[in-house]
Amino acid sequence: MNEMILMTHVLFGVGCMLAALWLFVDVMNVREATVGRIRAISWGAAAFMWVAFIVGGFWYVTFYKVDKAIILKGPWPFAHGKVMETKEHLVIMLLLLATYLPIAASDNLVGNKNARKVMLWVSAIVALLALAMDGEGGIIAMGVKVGLLPK
Amino acid sequence: MENPALAKRTIAFGLAVAIACVVNAIIVVLKEKSAAVMNAMKSGLGHHWITHSALVVGLFLVLGALLAAIKGGRGIELTAGRLIATLVSGVILAAVIIVGFYLFVD
Repeated sequence: MNEMILMTHVLFGVGCMLAALWLFVDVMNVREATVGRIRAISWGAAAFMWVAFIVGGFWYVTFYKVDKAIILKGPWPFAHGKVMETKEHLVIMLLLLATYLPIAASDNLVGNKNARKVMLWVSAIVALLALAMDGEGGIIAMGVKVGLLPK
Repeated sequence: MENPALAKRTIAFGLAVAIACVVNAIIVVLKEKSAAVMNAMKSGLGHHWITHSALVVGLFLVLGALLAAIKGGRGIELTAGRLIATLVSGVILAAVIIVGFYLFVD
């Protein structure tokens, strides 16, 4: 069960990243007919990120101590000491940026190129930061794996 | 129009993101360096990370609403270039502080 909770966290995090990528391309080609979709997907990106954050946070405070002990005793203690410690704090910034997406999307994207610029920058940062979080999660999971391998 | 203005919420909450990101990084350093701060955050909402997240998200929401309401409800005036520069700088500075702290200090 705890693995399913963790995979749900990953699924929604990747969903946020894909939504941010979609937004970047859609905003570059925005017109009246697509504004509604852009706003809906920006809400979707924010919602996915909140789900990923809450589910991941629940897993972290409830189950992570077991993985942490394995990582710290294994050959990759940095997977907790450096990687998880940075991930759990960088992800708060990602949550803020994803929450900001629908706010920025509510601006006049069709008639205002400055509003489009803001959306492009924010969606790009969200996509890149989400990718970095995904990579850090992979390293942490690998830290558990190598900690469980026979010596 | 040459440089159409951004909506007040776009500016207000964009600035709030930048500021909250930097405050997030400062809280990381404070709680890791001070047992008193860490203990206070642990007892806040039961876990230091939950208290930390709630503080930063709360700051973002309150600051964004305040910045949108100042100047009689007109909000802050800022060009898109300045807003983007502030936002990107805030995110990069916060990331450098957090990553740098755990890589080189902690």
